[in-house]
Amino acid sequence: MLIKFLNIILLLITPFLMVGLIRKTKAFWGARKGASIFQPFYDFVKLMKKESVFSSSTTLIFKLSPIISFACVIFAGLFVPMVQGQSIINIQGGIIIFAYVLALSKFISILSAMETASSFEGMGASREACFTTIIEPAFFIVVASIMALSKIYTFDSLNMILYSSNHLGYLIILFAILALLIMLIVEGARVPVDDPSTHLELTMIHEVMILDNCSQELALISYSAWMKMFLISSLIATILLPLGLSLWVSLVSFLGVILFISILIGTIESAIARLRMGHVFEFVFVMSSFALVVASLVALKLYGV
Amino acid sequence: MNFYFLGIAFILFGAIFSFFIKKSDLKLKLISFFSSIGAISVIFSSIKTFISGAGEKVFDVGFIFQSVRFSLDNISAFFAIIISFISALAIIYSIGYLKPYIQKNKSITSHCLFLNLLMISMLLVVVCQNALLFLIIWELMSLSSFFLVIFEHENKEVIKSGVKYLIYMHISVIFIILFFALLSIQSHSLDFKYFYEIAKQNSSFANIAFIFGFIGFGIKAGFVPFHNWLPDAHPKAPSFVSAMMSAVMIKTGIYGIIRTIEICSIPKIEIIYFVLLISLITGLYGIFYASVQKDIKKMLAYSSIENIGIIGIGLSVYLLATYFEYPTVALIALCGSFAHILNHAIFKALLFLSAGSVYIKTHTKDMEILGGLIKKMPITALCFIIGGISICALPPFNGFVSEFFIYISFIQALDINNFGVFIAILFAFASLALIGRVAILCFTKTISIAFLGEARSKNAQEVKFDNSKTMLIPMGILSSLCLLIGLFPQYIFKYTLKPASVFIDYGCACKLISFLDVISKCLLAFLGLILLFLLIKKIISNKQETYSTWGCGYNRLTNKVQYSASSFVGPFLTILKPLFKRTRDVKKAKGLFPKEAHYITKVDDIEEAYIISPILKWDEKFLSKFEIIQNGDIQQYIRFGLAFLLIALICAILIS
Repeated sequence: MLIKFLNIILLLITPFLMVGLIRKTKAFWGARKGASIFQPFYDFVKLMKKESVFSSSTTLIFKLSPIISFACVIFAGLFVPMVQGQSIINIQGGIIIFAYVLALSKFISILSAMETASSFEGMGASREACFTTIIEPAFFIVVASIMALSKIYTFDSLNMILYSSNHLGYLIILFAILALLIMLIVEGARVPVDDPSTHLELTMIHEVMILDNCSQELALISYSAWMKMFLISSLIATILLPLGLSLWVSLVSFLGVILFISILIGTIESAIARLRMGHVFEFVFVMSSFALVVASLVALKLYGV
Repeated sequence: MNFYFLGIAFILFGAIFSFFIKKSDLKLKLISFFSSIGAISVIFSSIKTFISGAGEKVFDVGFIFQSVRFSLDNISAFFAIIISFISALAIIYSIGYLKPYIQKNKSITSHCLFLNLLMISMLLVVVCQNALLFLIIWELMSLSSFFLVIFEHENKEVIKSGVKYLIYMHISVIFIILFFALLSIQSHSLDFKYFYEIAKQNSSFANIAFIFGFIGFGIKAGFVPFHNWLPDAHPKAPSFVSAMMSAVMIKTGIYGIIRTIEICSIPKIEIIYFVLLISLITGLYGIFYASVQKDIKKMLAYSSIENIGIIGIGLSVYLLATYFEYPTVALIALCGSFAHILNHAIFKALLFLSAGSVYIKTHTKDMEILGGLIKKMPITALCFIIGGISICALPPFNGFVSEFFIYISFIQALDINNFGVFIAILFAFASLALIGRVAILCFTKTISIAFLGEARSKNAQEVKFDNSKTMLIPMGILSSLCLLIGLFPQYIFKYTLKPASVFIDYGCACKLISFLDVISKCLLAFLGLILLFLLIKKIISNKQETYSTWGCGYNRLTNKVQYSASSFVGPFLTILKPLFKRTRDVKKAKGLFPKEAHYITKVDDIEEAYIISPILKWDEKFLSKFEIIQNGDIQQYIRFGLAFLLIALICAILIS
């Protein structure tokens, strides 16, 4: 029960801290002092107090979509293992509910972007829809191969690959994590795929979809985007952390991994520029190839072919 | 079984009775009344079958039929419920849909007749157990649907698509005849029940029969590469006919495949992999082409192909699991397929009916010139959105349930310790995920271009109200079913267990039902969470203002600057360039005062462009050589006749 409670707290709070940390890291590499790591939270509160402006082209869908997609992300979060590798709801096929609930949030947010009748937002929506088509199959290949390896059909299987330790096992872990990192960058809309800190419409994906959202709606959308990033990072943490740690050690090491990932993303954002749109596809396809590598390594390990 | 025939009699009676009524309006009401009563009777009889076991009726016709057996077992009952329910709703919907045509004084007498005939023939196909009669009814079904497709026969395109459909159906019949001929020659009988024994005795023979059956029924179902009639015939038919054809009639093809599996039992492993491959290709091909269509109904037709692929994937995982003797996996996969048959019937009918509702108001199926309809036709738009969410398999709607079953069967099939199976399942996993995501792309595109934003043309601008109640009520019933099935998967699982029990002993099902109870609770919690958040938002929401969309400092842009359907799929098209045949027709604006300019892109089906058209061209060339024989000259025909008589005479003399 305590773990479940902790998980919910983590799910709600860590996304803010992660983004704060990423921004702090970027400030560090840019030799700036940077805002406090709680700044995203302050922004959230500030936005929640503001007055909403809706486009005259929109209807109820536009108003409801940020809330529905926020609910989707929270619900997806219930299936993701966090402290001690335990999730709040742990059932077979949870992985599919996780993926499909996130897909619903995407579906609704694309509709809301298209509702504004703005060509900018259409552009973002079209790109967003297109990238998922590449990301998702790769994610399923990674997860399915890991499941085949451990013969456990819940998210717990992610924990188990650590115990299949020989060189192949480590390679599998490495490539699985690399694949998930790319997914994290694409789904979290970070550099080099997307740049959350500029507002140049022509080069953006997620950010351009929400041009017409403001106040509470914008706050919820950003919060759910951050939360999605946190969820994928926790999947990576689950792969990395061993089972059987005591509660507090596990909590600290979990947060440690999240901290590391945030700093890593901040560093990546400072080190490389955003890719040109044509090259983004190539970058995303790298995830598919990593996923295929994971699959073939698992096949190698299981059947020795 | 008696009630089943009573139901069919009601529908037939409605058809005949309406024939003698002059007023078109009344005629439609009459057939919808009688077919609803018939449907209720059929559903009652089918449910009775579920409870108390199969019913059977044998008629000793003699003649070439020998004895004709009708049997209502669990599989037939499952299909009969879907057929009668969806058809009855579609016929009720037609009252509103055909009103504008009646006002234009178009005769609908034959249309009514064929509508009922289609329903009757579908209901008879799923119970008939005599090969010869099956073929006759099958043909009746194809013909009556052909006449329904060519409703707007003034249009040449419609006739062309109709004929194409007819040709495909006859190629299908050739294979089905071969399938039955093989079995009946061996068993010296026309009754299905003797076929089982023959197939059991000789497995290599059963494999050949399986292939014939799969191809023959696969053409009807719309498996790639025999899918080409679907995207042509469905858009041309009136919407309720497309709903009946796409939601129900192509399922008779699936019914045939299921019977084939039942008769021939599990084929060789290579054939199973082949079926899986075909299904995966069908799913991917269908949804790829659906996503690039601009015609709403054509898009829906391609998406039917995709869903047939998903059903096929489930069936082939069932075959695979049975081959390796994993009954639990087989059961889940089979239930997934059955559930998807049901779900697809519901949401595809819903989508076609909603598309028809748009067509009646705007007189166009081209989504590029629609837009903003949600403000004027809120119920139609809501129904289409619900259908869209369901078909993308998103929770908590019904599409998710069936795909979830299939996913679970994949996950459990990872247990099978075989390299080939591992690779196959992995590919199936990734493909199903890809299909789902492209479906999201496809349906967000359609919904947002057709219903959201602002009107792009006069057609969409001039719509004032939503359609009449007779059209909206069937749509409403279907949408609420989408949500209900989505929220309570355990009941639908129990329902699909009935037909599945013909194949597998379902001892392992109890654990699954309790598992599905948990899933159902999860989905309910999900819905609850959404509603809770909406409530909280309502309480804490601040002051609201309305302003125009942000346009980079420009206001009052024309509605044409909105994102279009083709630009929406642009990035996706560039990824899959080799899969499509894209043609551009560009006329650039020239000079200081350009007069006209256009830019038209078209995406053609590669199968049609690179395989079927060349074959047809070659065919025409070859057949034109025979023009010497048939040149329209009567004197020559008389000469032919004389020559024939002469030869016959000489032969007769020589033989005697």
